[in-house]
Amino acid sequence: MDKKTGVYICHCGLGGSTEREKILEHLPAGSIVKDAEYLCSDFEQELLINDIKENGLEQVAVTCFAPDVHRSLFRKVYDEVGFLPYLIGIEETDDAVKRVVSALEDVKPIRLDEKEVDVKPSVLVIGAGIVGEQASLDIGDAGYKVYLVERRPNIGGHMAQLDKTFPTLDCASCIGTPKMVATGQHPNIELMTCSEVIEVSGHAGEFKVKVLRHPRYVDENECTGCGICVDNCPAVVPSEFNLGVGPRKAIYIPFAQAIPLAAIRDPEHCLGCRMCEYVCDKKAIRFDQKEEIVEFEVGSILVTTGFELFNCELRPELGYDKYDRVINALELERLCAPTGPTAGEILIHGKPPKNIVFVQCVGSRDKNVGNEYCSRVCCMYATKQCNLVREKVPDAKFTICYTDIRAFGKGHEEFYNRMQNEGVIYLRGTVSEVYRGEDGMMRVRVENTLMGEPVELEADLVVLSAGLTAPADTPQLANMLNLEVGDDKFLAEAHVNIRPMETRVKGIYMAGCAQGPKDISDSVSQTSGAAAKATIPISFGKVKIEPEDEIKVVKETTATAAPIEKEVTG
Amino acid sequence: MEFVDEIIETGGPILGTEHIESLRVCMQCGKCTGGCPSGRLTAIRTRKLVLEALLNMRDEVLSSDELWLCTTCYTCYERCPRNVKVTDITRTIRNIAAKEGYLALSHRMASSYVVKTGHAVPINDANKENRKKLGLPEVPPTTHTYKEALQGIQSLVKKTGFDELIGFDWETMNLKE
Repeated sequence: MDKKTGVYICHCGLGGSTEREKILEHLPAGSIVKDAEYLCSDFEQELLINDIKENGLEQVAVTCFAPDVHRSLFRKVYDEVGFLPYLIGIEETDDAVKRVVSALEDVKPIRLDEKEVDVKPSVLVIGAGIVGEQASLDIGDAGYKVYLVERRPNIGGHMAQLDKTFPTLDCASCIGTPKMVATGQHPNIELMTCSEVIEVSGHAGEFKVKVLRHPRYVDENECTGCGICVDNCPAVVPSEFNLGVGPRKAIYIPFAQAIPLAAIRDPEHCLGCRMCEYVCDKKAIRFDQKEEIVEFEVGSILVTTGFELFNCELRPELGYDKYDRVINALELERLCAPTGPTAGEILIHGKPPKNIVFVQCVGSRDKNVGNEYCSRVCCMYATKQCNLVREKVPDAKFTICYTDIRAFGKGHEEFYNRMQNEGVIYLRGTVSEVYRGEDGMMRVRVENTLMGEPVELEADLVVLSAGLTAPADTPQLANMLNLEVGDDKFLAEAHVNIRPMETRVKGIYMAGCAQGPKDISDSVSQTSGAAAKATIPISFGKVKIEPEDEIKVVKETTATAAPIEKEVTG
Repeated sequence: MEFVDEIIETGGPILGTEHIESLRVCMQCGKCTGGCPSGRLTAIRTRKLVLEALLNMRDEVLSSDELWLCTTCYTCYERCPRNVKVTDITRTIRNIAAKEGYLALSHRMASSYVVKTGHAVPINDANKENRKKLGLPEVPPTTHTYKEALQGIQSLVKKTGFDELIGFDWETMNLKE
């Protein structure tokens, strides 16, 4: 360290430093150490520029809080003096002298090595639930090409599995299907189902994408979705769409409104009788279809990969894997849905359930299973499901055992109030265990914490309000796109308050539950925002990038994220 | 000193500070109490005990009979969603209570058997029968077999002041009244 250095202790990080002299001792002659109140302000940046010029400073370091959000702030300084201040992230608990001096030892002069590149007028959207659909529609409507990649045979995601949505009790199909249809028909949206993104390289403005298209064994364009192949298929297996509550065939259409409306053959369970081929008038069955790799380029990428439901077997004391009277909330949703396997008839052991207990916070707010966060939807969906079941079983009784009721969204508190008014009992206490009594009915052990007494509730149906978790392969996706994964195992945003839809990689955005649990309202709001973000460079036509914005193809899964320090350097 | 800090200072050196400090993050969900096998039959309310400790209700906690009703089965410890180490915290509070003279009679009795026989639950005819059925020697290879080892235990008891703590009378070889 032999350069004349200026160190600025910005107040938000340290509240002014008493250790200026001590830091100065470590610096070469002619260096200065100063307190600064708000170095992010235009006025103080002028002072900084003056200092650099007057004192002939060769490098400048600024200690500050959250350096990653200040990256672009010192542009003006750069234009005047030809280098950027080195930003040192610091917290009050740090030893300021040690932190600053050790950071200065590694400092290299920061010159902006940016270039302006053209932007491909297209966006890759990964994941076609309601969030991916809405983003694709917005971007498509803006006049840009969208490649919408979905690994399942149909679009619509979890929302397509719901009966109704809270807090308005809208029919999920009635509000979801039009979005699916519009997505399928949009001239600017190229839909790729049964497909996975397997490789991404390049940078904002020009990402090179490789997509693996798995064979459907049915020609999507020829198939009319008439279902004659399904009717004639002899192989029966549990339906994934109905969470195994109902059956499907080895060649099947996941559900009546599926987009694209085309059959898919499941080679694992297919008996190879070729009955489907024989009965298809359109000759749409393709036993010889192979997987293929499609390559294209896009200007921006939007990740909308959603969530997976918490696996309730990880809480064995709740009996999910032991008792058939214990089900998860999404299974109940399929039982309630008129399009579900029972056409909306709710029968447990052949009878409508009369005494239903909901168990909240299963896999949420639970460090024991590694999910410290609140899933944000379960309080409201349990409240909603009481209404759904009551419509079909008017004399059923409902008890929701909760940890805290979180009804913070628009219309949520009112909905909670309404269901209380309709007789739903809210019992404060996290359920400790569920077991089967000698009469075959379930017993739910819970403390009524407001009374301070442990109680045992009887139930003929126990519904586990399972939380939302990050899709199991999120780390692989993050690795491919050079993104970070948070402690909650969801994708990490650039900044939770002010850059929630951006990732650490320029040009890659995200929305919905890929970032963390949220309900449909919040997901859809966020995705329109992210769609707008993704189209900004496209509508401008050019984007500035630096070498570190480049994504290299990751061949091995061992590659790790770059150290934070790299991010903070101007 | 706040009672919470006292608990952490007492239990920390034995079981780990972080371990006992987990007490602070209890969210009062009641998962412990709802599944407490003892609480189903007795007055122990684990969640309330933790709440009272957090609210600095030192005297109430230390003098309560419920404190001694935990069987240390560790069910709550296993299930706690905030990873509060409930059972070990209860044991720590008991240590403080014992020093203050609140040791329950049942626990003093069990302790006196340790002094007298080397076992909190000495062998009896029923257990001898069970051991025989399992193909084990009737008497276990403990102080029951090696009487001389009992002297070692008794000198430990004296050296640590455990005899004083439980109020043991060496004359009568029973608890003092």
